[in-house]
Amino acid sequence: MADFWKRFSRNHQAVLGLLILCCVIFLAAIANIIYPGDPFLYSKFPLSPPGENGFLLGSDSIGRDVASGIAHGAKTSLLIGLIATLAAVFIGVIFGAFAGYYGGIVDDILMRVTEVFQTIPSFIFAILLVAIMKPSIESVVIAITVVSWPAVARLVRGEFLALKNREFVQACHTLGMGDVRIMLAEILPNCLSPIIVIGSLMVATAILIESGLAFLGLGDPNVMSWGFIISDGRSMLRVAWWICTFPGIAILITVLAINLVGEGLNDALNPRLRERK
Amino acid sequence: MKLNRYVKAALTAAAVTMVGSLGHAQQAGGSLVFLVQPEPPTMAGYVSTSGPIGLLGPKIYDGLFDYDNDGKMVPMLAESVDVSADGKTVTFKLRKGVTWHDGEAFTSEDVQFTIMDVLKKVHPRGPNSFKEVSSIDTPDDHTAIFNLDNPAPYMLRALSSYESPMVPKHHLEGQDIKAAKLANSPIGTGPFKFVEWKKGQYIRLDKNENYWKDGRPYLDRIVGRFVPDASTRAAAMEKGEVLYAAYNAVSNVEAVRLNKEKDDISITTNGYSMINPMALIEFNTKEGPFTDAAVRRAISTAIDRQYMIDTIFFGYGKPATSALSSNFGATGLHAAMPNYPANGDIAAANKILDDAGYAKDANGVRMKAMFDLIPYGEDWKRGGQYIQQVLGEIGIDVELRYEDVPTWLKRIYHNYDFEMNLNYFYQLSDPVLGVHRHYGTNMIRQGTHFVNSSRYSNPELDALLSAGMTEPNAEKRAAVYLDIQKILANDMPVVNLFELEFLTVYNTKLKGAYDSAMGAYASFGDAYLE
Repeated sequence: MADFWKRFSRNHQAVLGLLILCCVIFLAAIANIIYPGDPFLYSKFPLSPPGENGFLLGSDSIGRDVASGIAHGAKTSLLIGLIATLAAVFIGVIFGAFAGYYGGIVDDILMRVTEVFQTIPSFIFAILLVAIMKPSIESVVIAITVVSWPAVARLVRGEFLALKNREFVQACHTLGMGDVRIMLAEILPNCLSPIIVIGSLMVATAILIESGLAFLGLGDPNVMSWGFIISDGRSMLRVAWWICTFPGIAILITVLAINLVGEGLNDALNPRLRERK
Repeated sequence: MKLNRYVKAALTAAAVTMVGSLGHAQQAGGSLVFLVQPEPPTMAGYVSTSGPIGLLGPKIYDGLFDYDNDGKMVPMLAESVDVSADGKTVTFKLRKGVTWHDGEAFTSEDVQFTIMDVLKKVHPRGPNSFKEVSSIDTPDDHTAIFNLDNPAPYMLRALSSYESPMVPKHHLEGQDIKAAKLANSPIGTGPFKFVEWKKGQYIRLDKNENYWKDGRPYLDRIVGRFVPDASTRAAAMEKGEVLYAAYNAVSNVEAVRLNKEKDDISITTNGYSMINPMALIEFNTKEGPFTDAAVRRAISTAIDRQYMIDTIFFGYGKPATSALSSNFGATGLHAAMPNYPANGDIAAANKILDDAGYAKDANGVRMKAMFDLIPYGEDWKRGGQYIQQVLGEIGIDVELRYEDVPTWLKRIYHNYDFEMNLNYFYQLSDPVLGVHRHYGTNMIRQGTHFVNSSRYSNPELDALLSAGMTEPNAEKRAAVYLDIQKILANDMPVVNLFELEFLTVYNTKLKGAYDSAMGAYASFGDAYLE
């Protein structure tokens, strides 16, 4: 662990990213403490510029506090990113593992299915899915998962293909271990690092997709998110710049931070880059 | 040749200047490009009252009459109207020498066909407007005699080119009216002829050289442009690419900004008095949490109407004070009722619910509800979010649902699969035309849009509605509507929120297009560019 941290901290950008990400997580965690009320709570002061009427970052068209929205939206964005990614990784690993491990007809079938999903542009596919289902937090998570898992599946398949003929796997076969146990206990741990890296980057993509959907009015109207604030403020950009700008910045730095961390993880976990100074 | 043209141009210019200096700046020529939002499905104003059709149809089709700002009737295709003493015979004298855009003569047969075979059959509101018309006699080409079963004074309010366009019999007779080709290549008697429809881009209309009104229209061409994105529409207005945008095609917030920042752009709320739009909540009174009128009264009591107007619609609107718009005050039909506080009264609303026996649980929640929002843009979404908050304060835990237009229409008017629905209706120029359809038992018509989706049915009210429909005496009629409003203020199958005031944004270069009672739904024959 100490070794890992040493390698990770060698990348200063990654450390900076991790710092920012921690701040965002912290903000999400204390959102209920610093802004205890409902972020949807209206007030008598619509379109207050930042700093006026007690709104640090201004208020929107029906007087909702943009700062409170950003704090509560952080929770939504991070949660959606995390849950969608976990689900996508779970599905992707199963598909990839079976395809890579068994090969042949299983591989063919699973990979053709994966390709069907990959041929549809992911954001358009996500829009379609949410439009078919009712716009809600669940349908957004499902849509992001459905468009994200094929990348994981392909990656895991590649790793399994490379590892399944290695000596330690053959040794397991001779010991009489079952296929599932070999996959789970032996091969999977050995391809965890690329999965972690792709997973971390997928969190960033998921946050972007969620914001994009909310921006297009396909977010859950009952849950505060960054995309929601931007979508609501977009038509007022010329009159009230602050509504769109601050959540926009929040998305920018969060996605950037996650990407930097992902980069750092890649450097730290990739054995071939270990000697890089 | 060349010199000749220059001389002509100079003379014209001189003439124009002279006319201008006399204070008559109406000059012929020029094109008007204006915003039509969204793109209409067809141009068949005789089948659908959809807004965008109304923006274009009346330029092509004429009505029998038009209305000025005081509500007075202005002769159009009819030169005069005479109502018999018993109110059951209405005689229209038609204008002579009017031709359709294809050259055929306009006659009383067209009027007969339009009313009896088109408007009474396929128009959404026509069956109501012309309900009492049993037959139309055509003694000669320029006389149409309407024979009525009962007096129908409201009928004379429904003769505009938007509400009841006169259509050519020779293009529709013997056809399926709803499927006829005329819907996409309209032929009328109006000041502009249909030329071209570039789907997704624009509809172009050119001047009708043979228009019956001398010297009209002034404009050579009208182009209705379709721009789906709201900020692009505002930008087009700002740059002067379009000169006119009605029905909030440019959002209130942008309209107010343009009015302030640009010298040549102005805004007006004129031109909507015949439309009379009302924002409201429809309730499902047959199943779900809102079967009890007390709950509906509590909701009406809790909502701060003035707040919604001020914040969401930038001050444009007027709090509703009864089931009828205050614009009916001119005819004495409107009376302010209890249960419509302009600024909302949370304590009173809570008390109504307490008294009705709806106790709050540990989380302060009395009941849960699903709230559908009219999918016509962000203003309505914000309105829904505000109401969600307010209802939370009186213990009604509301979830919002925002779907696409077809799904929403199907849910509310076909399947009745809703609990409460944010919407707005046109109350039009008479309650019979615009209001009766929400409340009458005969207007519970599954599959017909914008009628009694609450499925509210009250025989006492039905009797009053019938009386209001046929009562010719103004005072007696006012008394009937007072009773109607009292019943509705108590039963509240629909909670009226506020009278919407639409904004028209226009470039000051354009004159004569925004001050008539029909506003954007007028013919634009008098519009000109300066």
